Amino acid sequence: MAQSAEEIPARLKKIDTIVDCDFHVTERQEDILPYLPEPWSNVFGRSKGDDYGFLSSLYPSAGLINPITTGKVQSESVRSKEEAQVGIDLIHSDKVVITPTLNLYLGCVRNEEVAAALAHAYNEWLLDTMIDTDRGMYGAAVVAPQKPQKAAEEIDDRASEDGIAAVFFPSGGISPLAGAEKYYPIYEAAEANGLPVMMHNASGNMMTAFPRAFADLTRFISSHVVAHPMMHMCNMADMITRGVPVRFPDLNFVVQEAGLGYIPYFMRRFDHEYHSKKEDAPMLEAEPSEYIRRNFSFTSQPIEGTGEPEYVDSMVRLMGGEDNLMFSSDYPHLDFDYTDEMMNLLPSFDVDELNNVYGQNALETFDF
Amino acid sequence: MSSEPVETDDGKTLYPVEPAANLGEGERITVNIKGREITLFNSNDEFHAVLNFCPHQGGPLCEGLLDGTLTMEDWEWTYSCDGEIVSCPWHGWEFDIKTGEHLSKSDYRVPTYDVVVRDGEVYVVE
Ligand code: FES
Repeated sequence: MAQSAEEIPARLKKIDTIVDCDFHVTERQEDILPYLPEPWSNVFGRSKGDDYGFLSSLYPSAGLINPITTGKVQSESVRSKEEAQVGIDLIHSDKVVITPTLNLYLGCVRNEEVAAALAHAYNEWLLDTMIDTDRGMYGAAVVAPQKPQKAAEEIDDRASEDGIAAVFFPSGGISPLAGAEKYYPIYEAAEANGLPVMMHNASGNMMTAFPRAFADLTRFISSHVVAHPMMHMCNMADMITRGVPVRFPDLNFVVQEAGLGYIPYFMRRFDHEYHSKKEDAPMLEAEPSEYIRRNFSFTSQPIEGTGEPEYVDSMVRLMGGEDNLMFSSDYPHLDFDYTDEMMNLLPSFDVDELNNVYGQNALETFDF
Repeated sequence: MSSEPVETDDGKTLYPVEPAANLGEGERITVNIKGREITLFNSNDEFHAVLNFCPHQGGPLCEGLLDGTLTMEDWEWTYSCDGEIVSCPWHGWEFDIKTGEHLSKSDYRVPTYDVVVRDGEVYVVE
């Protein structure tokens, strides 16, 4: 290995304790099936699982290509304490909270009884195989959101076990969403046992749940907070990854009414992903953020964080707003912005830049 | 190693790595030269020397898969550069072993070294 596990990077030395709060095991179906309770043990006990991956197993997946499926990334196996220790040494962590991999998909297992049985079996395997507090190996007990009462019992059973540090709630793909009363038994049990609830998605299950997720949002605020930016991020991610700005290099898109903070976030997250997975978008000749800067503009309303000019100013800087932000009011909708609102929120912008934001960028974008 | 470093007239040093005959097509060997791990690849019957240190987060780049990459021509997926692309086993960043360039991020580059073959011995030039 180019970087040896023993050499602690200098900057980490100042830190007293390093806790890795999301340290995954790579459990396989065959690891946990032997721990299934009855009657599932009987039903599935004959099966050894299979070698065909997620697609024919009990856990559904979207079947997307990634660097693991193409063999580019050689992810380590973590299915024993010895294998966990390799990762702990590499990360220089003192304690880890072990989280699952296959069971990230538990939230979209349709048969709720099977889901609860799989959670139970995973926890048995975890305690038997992985937990070791002397070595800093803690775990999160997985529960099946589909079966909250069983999940609560699972929490009560596991909470006193040495080394169980949290409840793990596989939140991707769940329906209804996590605010539903249905889940209160889980939250009550976690609270009563003094355990935090970890929420963790996998892209394969989260994306399949988006339309449902929207349908399940039961209040205006919750849907309005996320709907605009989520939908924009989905559309832009799809457009850029599939080369729309490559095919239509001179076409501009104006993206509206979703706030500002998601834009620098999205650009950087997109670039970060792209540099590990260029093969997924081989037509791109520049970073995704560059296409966003080139082909997309954003309208300003509704500006979030207006009590904190330094926040708004830095978000607009980070998105390159001097070139791609255009004032909008959304008047007369109930969250409309008055004209000079933004002006007061951009203290670092000089006159030219403010002029861009308030008009010049629009003049260049629209065919007035 | 079968021989000692050789100083050249223009002030460079040739570090012997391996007899060329020992490194077959598609094979690689990693050696330590002045404290740096450098991997010598035989790719398509050419030798390329690359630092075994990924500029992303320090992963063991040259232990990764050596293959090609999916590209696109006229909106058709194609597979090209076979044997010229090494993928870091940690997060999959891909580098061209001939130039050291990252395939998508032009400001990231892994050091590469000239290689010469003399009297059947492969040397890394520094
Ligand atoms: S360390 Fe090499 S890709 Fe991240």
